Amino acid sequence: MRKALKFVALAGLLCTSLISASASAQIDWKQSQGTEIRFLMNKHPFTTYIEPKVAEFEKLTGIKVVIEAFPEDQYRNKLTIELNSGGKVDGYMIMPGQDDLYYSKAGWLQPLDAYIADPKLTDRSWDPKDFFASFAKASSVDGKQIGVVINAETSLLAYRKDLFAKFKQKVPTTMKELEATAKFFHGKEVDGKKLVGITLRGKKAAATSQWVDFLYSFGGSWTNAQGKSNFASPEDIAAFKFYGDLLRNYGPQGGTMLHWAESTSAFMEGKAAMIYDANVFKALYENPKESKVAGLVGYAVIPAGPKGLRLPHVSNWSLSIAKASTPERQKAAWLFVQWATNKENCLGALLAGVPSGRKSSWDSKEYKANDKQPDWTAATMKSFDIGQGQWNPPVINVPEIRDITGQVIVDAIEGKDVAASARKAAELMDKKMER
Amino acid sequence: MGEFTEMTAAFSAISRFVDRRQRFFFPAPAVAVLFLIIVLPIVFNLYLTFTKWTVGLGQPQFIGFDNFVEAFGDERVWNGVKVMVYFSGASLALELFLGLMIALYFNRAFRGSEAVQAIYIIPFAATPVAVALIWRIMLNPEIGVINYMLTSIGLPPGLWVSSEHMVVPTLVMVDVWKWTPMITLIVLAGLKSLPQDPYEAARIDGANPLQIFWYITLPLIRPVLIAALMLRSLDNLKEFDMIYTITQGGPGIASETLYLYSYNVSFGFFKAGYGSALMVVVFLVVLVFNVLMNRLRRDASAV
Repeated sequence: MRKALKFVALAGLLCTSLISASASAQIDWKQSQGTEIRFLMNKHPFTTYIEPKVAEFEKLTGIKVVIEAFPEDQYRNKLTIELNSGGKVDGYMIMPGQDDLYYSKAGWLQPLDAYIADPKLTDRSWDPKDFFASFAKASSVDGKQIGVVINAETSLLAYRKDLFAKFKQKVPTTMKELEATAKFFHGKEVDGKKLVGITLRGKKAAATSQWVDFLYSFGGSWTNAQGKSNFASPEDIAAFKFYGDLLRNYGPQGGTMLHWAESTSAFMEGKAAMIYDANVFKALYENPKESKVAGLVGYAVIPAGPKGLRLPHVSNWSLSIAKASTPERQKAAWLFVQWATNKENCLGALLAGVPSGRKSSWDSKEYKANDKQPDWTAATMKSFDIGQGQWNPPVINVPEIRDITGQVIVDAIEGKDVAASARKAAELMDKKMER
Repeated sequence: MGEFTEMTAAFSAISRFVDRRQRFFFPAPAVAVLFLIIVLPIVFNLYLTFTKWTVGLGQPQFIGFDNFVEAFGDERVWNGVKVMVYFSGASLALELFLGLMIALYFNRAFRGSEAVQAIYIIPFAATPVAVALIWRIMLNPEIGVINYMLTSIGLPPGLWVSSEHMVVPTLVMVDVWKWTPMITLIVLAGLKSLPQDPYEAARIDGANPLQIFWYITLPLIRPVLIAALMLRSLDNLKEFDMIYTITQGGPGIASETLYLYSYNVSFGFFKAGYGSALMVVVFLVVLVFNVLMNRLRRDASAV
């Protein structure tokens, strides 16, 4: 009897020590029990994915999470107004490439580095190195991380595999080849319809999002070493001119009015041999209900510029923490951000169609088993690796400078004097730039 | 007992007080609401015109007339004025001319005239944004039905709103299509109420239809025409929904009216101060135009 007792006690002791050993690798998830936090979110597929799982987090931590989600158009206005008026917001979704400088200047972003470095606050399994470096950088301002990526995007060249095979064309790897291939296909008749070589966005400010990949690959940049507009440089002018010429000569009619919706529908109608736009539009191209080219599309990274540069951009939505919140609620908000971006949730979101910023999600067996377009995945991975996080002008007044930039793109598409237009835009940009 | 009388006395004193000042008390709620939703925003807007303020970045900073000075040197303001004058001038003139002609036509009794009139006012009755969305799709050079019809009868396709030269005429066409019926309705009502004696006298004197129109109908209908023009110009000079839906001011800034530009500055760039100043300029243009028109109308009635 005594022996038996001893044994039970020993076994019990062993168990407790085992539990505490495994617990030592874990943070105390209950440390903010009873706190209530409020997150504003864009009604994005990630939000749709995470909302039903929030109950799990609440059970794990005892933190009450209130999520309010709005459609994107309203979301930005709503968020700006709430943050501006000091509403009780503890965390929110942000598109850093668009708003990080504005929000950081307005004092709305809490740096996350201290939380990430604190072993009491951040679980080892969260593994910050698992995120693509390009996205961690994209969610940083002045070297401080201000958000954690929840939706990772880039842009890709998509092309008609069937037409390329039929006409024995190679996938272009340089800008020169891109132009030649577009020229080759332009005007070719396929099934009684005349093809265009390539379709791109041409509508003023909207066009800058993809044009910027051409800018970087041509060796250009938004600003020069002195922080002035770089538009008048030969590299920038070459990028404007190449993009405009490509769309005018080998693109659909009325290039200056093409937004992504018009451009992608031309491609999905089977009217274009190639398109350069966001990689996530794969979901549109490959949807057999809406697209005539589903199953016929191949994907590649942007062709290299004259000096061999291939520099696409990456863009993302991130979760951030409000600076105006209290330390106690910020801690709880960090626990939530950490949980929402852990390996399991990032993989779950990817399987639900939200591109993940974690390498492990893409490398997983679950994803690979379901991957119907491995060449899209391969091109996306490559683009994530080499992607630039800065896809907008490095200023606070992003929309205004994008608008100025868009005018040069429009002039280039219309075949006007690009150098003159670029010089004029450079002057205007120097005058209007706010940092 | 005493208490009761006192209360009654107090009540009747109050009600006498209110009775005598009915003209202040009854409109008070309406005035308060109007003050809150109309006067306050206008006053705030006027205050903003003298400030530099990006929403979110600090408080409005007083800068005097700098916004107006900036507007004066801003190429896009001048472009906006040019587009506004071009668009409004062409569409108002065409709408007035066509509206008058069609009203004259409808003014004669003919079989089925009521049915024709009912069909004719449909564009005017339709929701502007919905109509504009349909036009936007129809005008698309690649997939639009207009180019499809043109090419199927052997005509060359057009670029319509995708060409910087054709965009304003195309928008004028849509505006004329939509709003001419309104002018027609107003002018038609005016024509129906004209006295018949001058016409009889003219016919007896042997005037031909053209002379009757020029010397009798036109002078008599002039005040109505000007009233119709004023009504239409109020909307037309600050036309927003149609242009915004179809072109957003594009290609480039080829169809960006001053009103659209001020919207972009305020709600695209979040520059509330400068945007307010531009709105005030638009307001002044509309005001001056209408004061002039009103004077014309008064002169016309005096004839």
